[in-house]
Amino acid sequence: MLWSRRSFFLGVLLGGPVLLAVALRVVSTLATSGFQVNGAPIEGSSVFGLMIWLLFIRFIVPILGVFYGTSLIADEVDDKTITYLFTRPIPRRAVLIGKYLAYLACTVLLVLPSVMLVFFLVVPTGGSSIAEAFPSLLTDFGMLTAGLAAYGAVFAFVGTRIKRPLIVGLVFAFGWEPAVLLFPGYLRRLTVAYYLQALVTHEMPQDSAVSMLLQVFREVPSVTVSLIALSVIVVAALWSAGRAVERREYVLEQ
Amino acid sequence: MTTRTRYFVIVSLLVLGVGLGTGLVAYYVGVQGIPFARHSGPEELQYIPKDATVVAFANVQEIMHSQLRQKLHHALPAQQETGQAELQNLTGINLENDVFRVVACLFADGALTDNGRGAGMVLVRGNFDETKIESLMRSHGAHVEDYKGARLIVVDANPAHDDSNARNFALTFVEPGLAAIGTADVVRKAVDLHQNGANTPPTVQSVTANDDLMAQVRTLETGNNAWAVGRFDVLTAHAHLPANVAGQIPAISWFSIGTHINGGVRGALRAETRDDEAANNLRDVVRGFLALAKLQAGSRPEFQAMMSSLQLGGQGKTVTLSFDVPAQVFDVIGAHLH
Repeated sequence: MLWSRRSFFLGVLLGGPVLLAVALRVVSTLATSGFQVNGAPIEGSSVFGLMIWLLFIRFIVPILGVFYGTSLIADEVDDKTITYLFTRPIPRRAVLIGKYLAYLACTVLLVLPSVMLVFFLVVPTGGSSIAEAFPSLLTDFGMLTAGLAAYGAVFAFVGTRIKRPLIVGLVFAFGWEPAVLLFPGYLRRLTVAYYLQALVTHEMPQDSAVSMLLQVFREVPSVTVSLIALSVIVVAALWSAGRAVERREYVLEQ
Repeated sequence: MTTRTRYFVIVSLLVLGVGLGTGLVAYYVGVQGIPFARHSGPEELQYIPKDATVVAFANVQEIMHSQLRQKLHHALPAQQETGQAELQNLTGINLENDVFRVVACLFADGALTDNGRGAGMVLVRGNFDETKIESLMRSHGAHVEDYKGARLIVVDANPAHDDSNARNFALTFVEPGLAAIGTADVVRKAVDLHQNGANTPPTVQSVTANDDLMAQVRTLETGNNAWAVGRFDVLTAHAHLPANVAGQIPAISWFSIGTHINGGVRGALRAETRDDEAANNLRDVVRGFLALAKLQAGSRPEFQAMMSSLQLGGQGKTVTLSFDVPAQVFDVIGAHLH
């Protein structure tokens, strides 16, 4: 999984925020006035919050879930190696759960160090202190792990049930979720982002008209409700994925 | 597990371990503030007593020579020049060139206040003609007191009225080029703090020993030429507000504002609330006002740049609002004044 064709993409995806943080740090060191957004000065911890929102929550975590979650079984089918796994004397769902746990370990070990580097590069600038912001970093770690777990489970299910899971996954993560969150009502409860965003301690950025709409219609569930909902999503998605793997007949194309 | 995967896991865990370790050390050291504690802010803070409710700073030279000030100078030439000329005639102080920076403090509670009256002091760093200022004040009824070897020029408040609660006003030159002006009791404390020097006994401490306030000051040092920080809860508690008004005020414990004045005014307001819930409530209120203000600014292009600069931020108990008032806004104001 780690050294697949996606490794290059993964490196760019997670190296990007670190390079951006290095650039911001250099600019902040050279400019005496610190970070500015639309001309207004902004603390390093706020910049870190913006990066967590815009880069990690809205982009990196869903896309890692889509690319790796959907490929858990689909890659084995494409490579025609799934037969070797399913002929082992273990339940099929155990194979899926094992691959899911490997996905979770890999993505967590990729994302958290990237966030850690961004934190230490960005937060000490503009008058913020590492000591003050450190507790929120631990919360961010927990939130990102929960996000990776939930998205991974949902897209693992998609990967086991649907023929072209990547397209469906991308539409769900970058079409359905952002669109539904814009509207008031109950539909937003059918997204992972609704529960995940409730765990974010940073202020949502006001970077566009869409963000303003999101803030106006934002209805935030409590942390307990969000954690329970995310746990239910993980368990239900994995159980459904396991059931699909057990029942489905995978026909390998010759 | 392949060798490459093993290296990947080791490097990832190493980054995480070192980062978490460093963060934990910073957290405990930062909170307790013992080993790496350092004094921040202007040196005049050492003359401000520890229990100050509000402390403010302004780099007068930078502000007086800013483009914004030049604009205002052109917009209001007559009034300003008269006022400045009067001040120079009376005291010999040229505001443009003689005043370098100002540090002010306010006391809303504690030993320096009585009967609900606040106390305060302004420390002005600059070039002063001490003799001229003293003779001017004496001609206006002030008298000179000796306080621990320092000359205090004291003005009795309302001498015509028999008001026992009246606060005396005093001026002294704490050191050459540094005038302390304010409530007599506070100015005396400044003299005490100056005379204690580096070996400050625990009975008299400066605001630099107030860790909570200095932590706020440290956040304002970068890129600001004017700032203020203070205890919002203490101020509101002593403001004698009606109960229904006081009940509507958010539970803010600390507030600070840092601004950089040059072509325009850019800065950030920061509020630290009692708890996370109060911070969320405050963010909701500010968010509502921002949305309303942005809608209102839609028809006024000159205000749109300012409105788009408003950024609500912060985490946990902290709420921040960054702003940038561009020069165009002051042009509009100047045009209205003309």
